Amino acid sequence: MLLLQKTPRIYSVELNGAKDMKQTDKGDGKDKYRGLQDNCLELGKNQRKEHLTKEIDLDDHKLSNKELETKYHTNIVTGLSSTQAAELLARDGPNALSPPKETPEIIKFLKQMVGGFSILLWAGAILCWIAYGIQYSNDKSSSLDNVYLGAVLALVVILTGIFAYYQEAKSTNIMASFSKMIPQQALVIRDSEKKIIPAEQLVVGDIVEIKGGDQIPADIRLLFTQGCKVDNSSLTGESEPQSRSCEFTHDDPLETKNIGFYSTTCLEGTATGMVINTGDRTIIGQIASLASGVGNEKTPIAIEIQPFVHIVAGVAVSIGVLFFIIAVSMKYRVLDSIIFLIGIIVANVPEGLATVTVTLSLTAKRMAKKNCLVKNLEAVETLGSTSIICSDKTGTLTQNRMTVAHLWFDNQIFMADTSEDQLKQTFDQSSGTWASLSKIIALCNRAEFRPGQERVPIMKRVVVGDASETALLKFSEVVLGDVMEIRKRNHKVAEIPFNSTNKFQLSIHKTDDPIDKRFLMVMKGAPEKVLEKCSTIMVNGQEQPLNNTTAEAFYTAYMELGGLGERVLGFCHLYLPADEFPETYSFDVDAMNFPMSNLCFVGLLSMIDPPRSTVPDAITKCRSAGIKVIMVTGDHPITAKAIAKSVGIISANSETVEDIAKRLNIAVEQVNKQDAKAAVVTGTELKDMSEDQLDEVLTSYPEIVFARTSPQQKLIIVEGCQRQDAVVAVTGDGVNDSPALKKADIGIAMGIAGSDAAKNAADMVLLDDNFASIVTGVEEGRLIFDNLKKTIAYTLTKNIAELCPFLIYIIVGVPLPLGTITILFIDLGTDIVPSIALAYEKAESDIMNRKPRHKKKDRLVNEPLAVYSYLHIGIMQSLGAFLVYFTVYAQEGFRPSTLINLRVEWEKDFVNNLEDSYGQEWTRYQRKYLEWTGYTAFFIGIMVQQIADLIIRKTRRNSIFQQGLFRNKVIWVGIASQIIIALILSYGLGSITALNFTMLRPQYWFVAVPHAILIWVYDEMRKLFIRLYPGSKAGGDKNMYY
Amino acid sequence: MRRQLRSRRAPVFPHSYRYRLDDQDEVNQNYLADEEEEAEEEARVMVVPNLEEEEEEEEVKEEEEKDEEEGQGQPTGNTWWRKLQIMNEYLWDPEKRMSLARTGQSWSLILVIYFFFYASLAAVITLCMYTLFLTIGPYMPTFTERVKPPGVMIRPFAHSLNFNFNVSEPDTWQHYVISLNGFLQGYNDSLQEEMNVDCPPGQYFIQDGNEDEDKKACQFKRSFLKNCSGLEDPTFGYSTGQPCILLKMNRIVGFRPELGDPVKVSCKVQRGDENDIRSINYYPESASFDLRYYPYYGKMTHVNYTSPLVAMHFTDVVKNQAVPVQCQLKGKGIINDVINDRFVGRVIFTLNIET
Repeated sequence: MLLLQKTPRIYSVELNGAKDMKQTDKGDGKDKYRGLQDNCLELGKNQRKEHLTKEIDLDDHKLSNKELETKYHTNIVTGLSSTQAAELLARDGPNALSPPKETPEIIKFLKQMVGGFSILLWAGAILCWIAYGIQYSNDKSSSLDNVYLGAVLALVVILTGIFAYYQEAKSTNIMASFSKMIPQQALVIRDSEKKIIPAEQLVVGDIVEIKGGDQIPADIRLLFTQGCKVDNSSLTGESEPQSRSCEFTHDDPLETKNIGFYSTTCLEGTATGMVINTGDRTIIGQIASLASGVGNEKTPIAIEIQPFVHIVAGVAVSIGVLFFIIAVSMKYRVLDSIIFLIGIIVANVPEGLATVTVTLSLTAKRMAKKNCLVKNLEAVETLGSTSIICSDKTGTLTQNRMTVAHLWFDNQIFMADTSEDQLKQTFDQSSGTWASLSKIIALCNRAEFRPGQERVPIMKRVVVGDASETALLKFSEVVLGDVMEIRKRNHKVAEIPFNSTNKFQLSIHKTDDPIDKRFLMVMKGAPEKVLEKCSTIMVNGQEQPLNNTTAEAFYTAYMELGGLGERVLGFCHLYLPADEFPETYSFDVDAMNFPMSNLCFVGLLSMIDPPRSTVPDAITKCRSAGIKVIMVTGDHPITAKAIAKSVGIISANSETVEDIAKRLNIAVEQVNKQDAKAAVVTGTELKDMSEDQLDEVLTSYPEIVFARTSPQQKLIIVEGCQRQDAVVAVTGDGVNDSPALKKADIGIAMGIAGSDAAKNAADMVLLDDNFASIVTGVEEGRLIFDNLKKTIAYTLTKNIAELCPFLIYIIVGVPLPLGTITILFIDLGTDIVPSIALAYEKAESDIMNRKPRHKKKDRLVNEPLAVYSYLHIGIMQSLGAFLVYFTVYAQEGFRPSTLINLRVEWEKDFVNNLEDSYGQEWTRYQRKYLEWTGYTAFFIGIMVQQIADLIIRKTRRNSIFQQGLFRNKVIWVGIASQIIIALILSYGLGSITALNFTMLRPQYWFVAVPHAILIWVYDEMRKLFIRLYPGSKAGGDKNMYY
Repeated sequence: MRRQLRSRRAPVFPHSYRYRLDDQDEVNQNYLADEEEEAEEEARVMVVPNLEEEEEEEEVKEEEEKDEEEGQGQPTGNTWWRKLQIMNEYLWDPEKRMSLARTGQSWSLILVIYFFFYASLAAVITLCMYTLFLTIGPYMPTFTERVKPPGVMIRPFAHSLNFNFNVSEPDTWQHYVISLNGFLQGYNDSLQEEMNVDCPPGQYFIQDGNEDEDKKACQFKRSFLKNCSGLEDPTFGYSTGQPCILLKMNRIVGFRPELGDPVKVSCKVQRGDENDIRSINYYPESASFDLRYYPYYGKMTHVNYTSPLVAMHFTDVVKNQAVPVQCQLKGKGIINDVINDRFVGRVIFTLNIET
């Protein structure tokens, strides 16, 4: 049921149908009625199956292999030819489900139109028109100003709506293109060769091979299976694995064992099958239309922004209403009061906030460039708040390029060459044991070279198969020559592939010795498991009974090799007696009708998977970022520990309890557990632990390695971490990892090694499987959060400077310092590019040195941010802008003392000889023109100080000089845009009076500059204080650090 | 005292907080604020021994757990009541003596800090304004380009530019007479002779000397207006259907009409038949503003400055019909055709004289 705790992520559009089915099915069928009778459930399931069956017209499961071959014009061994496949592809179309219907675009668009602040602005526009209506009914010749203002407001809403809609569509497209970058692959036989092609290109008649972890790429009729089990839960709701075989077992295609369905997952084993249906003609395709539609979940960014919108809107409305009441009680006309109300609303609403979404899509793109594919944008941000990373070892921390390093046979350890371009191995190869060992190495191996690489150096050839098999294949290719030829001579008759429960791999071969009719059974696997099955050991080519001495020698060698952090494999073989196993004997790997004990142990071989060079650095970064890195691996504890030490998960000077015990030569129980910083916990120990004990382990040790764990235990570890209130990121690749990936706050799948199931369950895909990419992701996640904060802080600051004019206008009665239209020109003109530019800001130096964000505690828009923006910088800005305003008025003749309470006279249309401070007389229009000059002056004042605001917002903690003024070039583009827009508005459009801008004397542009510098100095002081006294109240971390 | 021993414990998040964090934001804030205020106190208490810190933490944990139990003990249906309680507690928490998540001490500190912050901002703005005033002369405005070219106003003015009156009904024009009389009080000959000097006509009355010296003003006597002075005809011609309208040019510091070419006033019918106005008498007869009234030195020093007037005596206007009249200033430096501003260099009014 844990699977259900997190809604499955939508991997790609094609899979929606399947996913939703799963959801509804489990939800309805199990969750709700679990307490009721099971019959009910069965009934439901059966009904459903019947319902499906009615629609399905499929009889391929009844046909024999031959009939199938003729029906689909294919050959089971050689597959289709490329030309045939191309023709069929052209005829049938790609093997993909047609995407389900989405929310109509118009609905999405309308949602943008009424969401957030838009509704406030609509209200403002309507109020404008109402005001005009009142004016008009009183006086037919009243000016159309209010109609224009209303129209402008409506236009603003529509424009920002279009912008937001466009951004959303763009980010959706980016996400969609990302999901295309992780295409499903299929291993197909065409032209007698195994090829990996995108699953979309499959056609009917293709012969495909699947293995555990794969998603079945189309509806297939199974031709050959090997312990194959599938998870059909997405189709039928049966959550238990279903075994598959080649036999026709049931008339109903949904019940028969020889059909594998598109989009279901193969859990274990291998199978070969023929594609019988593709795309929309698959079973899932036929029913996909029954359950389509994407659940729209709110992203954390949306969750963070929503309360902020509510708060700002609340503030806007309450200030507006408050001043409406004040205005009315100050005997202003109701009509005027309505105009004030509109002005206050417009001043309070950050109209330019639609740019926030730009930040998100920018980051997603940037992350993709750094090999992190984000499947949903929220993941970026979650990644930033990660506090624990549970990482796999293989491939993530290491290069996933196994190389044979040591061999042990004849009681001796041999060194192998591990260099990049090994051409031959130089160790002693004369022993008879080596002959046997090399044969096992070559035969007990499923890896194959991709065809057509004969000229490529062996070490560079592309191999189909897992890492250690690849290493072994390459190793034996170097030592023995053409391995494929050897395998052909020793025909394989049965095989048990490696799996994590058995921990061994076994195959049975006919030998190439024409005289010897015995079958050779070869086995490799975890050495202790292999040794368990052995009763003899080969020394110098001779079989000897396995006694304590030899076993001890084995363990010494094993521990020594393991202690080097190497993966050790044990190899054994057995010639099956010809009398019991005649040539015609049919081996059944499910029934295991062959001996599994008393084998002959041949030797050990150890492989190294060197850590990636970038990992130690990345781990150090994580540590300073307050992120705990826990290694969870299926490997041996010693291997795990050795790798953990070499990459720094266990730091050089930390010891485990066992280390201390060993050093002090005392029993493990006597060691004071407080002294140990690191812990290596094995899967067996974990199995016996209670939840509390696990919690204790997780809290008391900063450095933990979980070894020999099964994927199920990974889930337990993740849950344990989450109990500590941590945000857990989990890496995984196997199909069994998907529960853990889903359970984790952020699941990270490996792009190269990962199975489809894992990629489906994950929130993020690492294209290069590199741990360092996760750290980059964390950094990006934190950066996006920081930059959003900066953008919002920047956007909010000027709201005070826009609001104050109205308040002063109403209370003090000065001529209006800033018009409503002018406010819109700030919000949507000069401030747009700078607020986007902040999204390009580089990370501050402490970004990876601070604690991860607490999801519920550290909000995007917090009290310090609002207080600092509004009450500190905002007020300073207002003062600066008022200074410009007063300067303009004073120099033109109206000293501040004259301005007070001048409003009523000032606005009287018939007063055309209003006296100023010098006794000069002004006509109404001259005053109006001066008022617009005042608007322009105030506007320039705000603009100049917004430049300072932009520069101070570059950092929250560091000095600007630490951050570098010129590292973010876009900021300068932003500043240039501010100045250019202001210049155009003042000088270019100065003659268009409708916009209320006038030419401003050049010197007025510089009046606010000292204030801008003051803002910058003040903020530098704040930052200095925060840096000098981190965490202290006086330093203002709590009040001043936003 | 015990609170003083506490220390910041931001990184530690005991389990008992989880419930609260999930569900109760306000309480959460409370908790955070608690931390804040303690941190502040810690700053003063200096070093705190570690052991005691831990003890304190445990104590707090217990306390919180207790709180939680209480919270859960209440009937669950009463979420509104609980929210109200939380809100109430946020506003005033009697136990911790906190209001809005701050103690009185914390509040006073905040207020003091803000007081000083805003006081220094006020100082800064005062300094700026002081500098501003330093750059602005009290006698002459820095720039006059916005107030130029001069605007025009007429008297009598009663909120409207439509002169509707019935000759035979004094009530309809009495207020014009009162307005004109009031306006012309400052032009009384006796007053002008007492206050102002009689300066030579036809040239600027330039007074050099320091800016701050008081300037003399030229006389403009009421009697200059002759028939429109209200001296001979106290009804300014309204009783006979020949109304007087006074025209005044807006004062502008330093404004000088062209030498030898004073600003003239001329009125005509704005729209319609030009013959609707058959004759207008101007007083002074030149229909111009004499140069001696210029320049104006500003009201600080030019205290008794008397704006020159031109009276238009509409002696023969078509009766019982609205006549739109436009009076324009003419002269160099005068603009009288600004579209947006109908009071710059001109004034438009209607006469509707009924008999």
